[in-house]
Amino acid sequence: MSKHEPISIDTIKAMMNLTDEDLKKPLPLPTKWSQPFWDAARQHRLVLRKCSACGNIDHPPYLYCTACQADEHEWIEASGKGTLFAYAINYFGVPFPFWADLPYVLGMIDLAEGVRMISNIVECDFDELKNGMELEVVFDDVSEEITLPKWRPIEK
Amino acid sequence: MDRGEFAIIGTGEVPCGNYPERTEFETAYTVARAAIRDAGIDVGDIGAILCAQHIMSNPDNDYNTEMVFGRLPEAIGARDCKITCMTSSGGASSFSLRKTAEGILHSGETDTVLVVHAQRFSQFTPNEQAKYFSIAGSDVEWEVPYGMTYNALAAMITQAYMSITGTTIEQVASVCVANRKWAMLQPNAMFNQKEITVDKVVNARMVSYPLTTLMCNVLGDGGSAFIMTTAEKAKKICDKPVYVLGEASDYSHRTITRAGMKDFASMAEYLSPIAGLAYERSGLGPEDMDIYQVYGSYPCIQLIIMDALGICDPGTSGALVESGETSPGGKYPVTTNGEALSFGHTGTGVGIALLVESVRQLQGKAGKAQVEGARFLVENTGGGAFMDCHFTILGNEIPG
Repeated sequence: MSKHEPISIDTIKAMMNLTDEDLKKPLPLPTKWSQPFWDAARQHRLVLRKCSACGNIDHPPYLYCTACQADEHEWIEASGKGTLFAYAINYFGVPFPFWADLPYVLGMIDLAEGVRMISNIVECDFDELKNGMELEVVFDDVSEEITLPKWRPIEK
Repeated sequence: MDRGEFAIIGTGEVPCGNYPERTEFETAYTVARAAIRDAGIDVGDIGAILCAQHIMSNPDNDYNTEMVFGRLPEAIGARDCKITCMTSSGGASSFSLRKTAEGILHSGETDTVLVVHAQRFSQFTPNEQAKYFSIAGSDVEWEVPYGMTYNALAAMITQAYMSITGTTIEQVASVCVANRKWAMLQPNAMFNQKEITVDKVVNARMVSYPLTTLMCNVLGDGGSAFIMTTAEKAKKICDKPVYVLGEASDYSHRTITRAGMKDFASMAEYLSPIAGLAYERSGLGPEDMDIYQVYGSYPCIQLIIMDALGICDPGTSGALVESGETSPGGKYPVTTNGEALSFGHTGTGVGIALLVESVRQLQGKAGKAQVEGARFLVENTGGGAFMDCHFTILGNEIPG
């Protein structure tokens, strides 16, 4: 989709005088209320915070239910299935830690459980991306502590 | 607020662009004096000074801290200033500053408020800027680790909007072309030297599909200011006060995935009632407006807002822009300073610049960009990851 050649990370590094620290990817810093999500992701499980009082599912999760303000909740196993609502393909102008990944796809995914998530769409052919297409979750172990849930098209 | 209770009587502005030698302090003092002179008041009349928080602070000489702790009244000699504070709601700051000014005026403590914005992005490295703008619109825990950027956020909304409404990429690009045409008429615009074409916009380097570089705004150094007073005082001291005739607001979300409107096709359904309420409160309708000042920052956001203004059927604003009717000389002048895409993106100042341009238009001081005989206009702003939306109706008369 882009007829412009990508600029290599080595060129950028030299041009901008970047250190390895500048190229470290930002990772989620879990909060007290999101830790269970990241703990589950580490085990390659996708979980969502469901309010025990009113049944509302919050994603991102917060300290208490955003529908009824109750504390009581459970973490439910998500099906790991969803559909693509919208996407963008980053080609240029991203923070330097992501330069080596260019081009990459960002998508808004509507989970079967009714919440929406932003993530990467991976293992896909850019030309076949289509709003409404079915996706499934995959897990990317990006560090010792953090695993990022990502999504790929379901093979038909 | 009563209709026409408050008025803006003067404005000041500096050129927007790359001005690394012009500190934000110099900009703030310069635009403050320009607004005071333009309003024809004495600095001693000012009883309250409000500053827009600027973004990406420099810890070695922090503008925000200085302004929070009262630098501005001292520096400009505002000897009778009683109240000073800093206010911000990101891109919506023009609105939150004005509401704060209205509250102070309504309290009766003073009848004259100065509002100032200044920004100098050029003091930060490209990496610092890229880092800031990856977190400004996105959630650091849930989005930034995936390589999210502000441009990608706008790109996803554009991709969804195009797919739902059938709007073409050429129509999206035509917004950039129209913005540039307006900016060409603005002496203070960052990009006012060279026209662009739809072809050039569509074929520029791809940044975040479907957005090319020319569909993304560029950060610039700039600043502007305005003087606000009560309508009662304005009528006595100003030839052409600009009255606040009606306004309406709504907040939706922080994280785009939590937006109230799950389907961007219903964006107009969400926004139209807010615009409708502002029109209703002013006693005027879309057909009474001479100008439509839309804050989009990205071309598709301008289209989405235009869909809600009552000048076209929702989903068809792309065709309206493509027809040339929103460009200079058109039936529906939209965003007469060229906005973030061509005037330049000054952080919290984009909306303030648009408000200042609105006042100039209604005072007949807009120079080459002047829309002849402009009496009423609708002005819009919003901030964050499109977290909120505000519509204001301004006029140089209070309709009977």
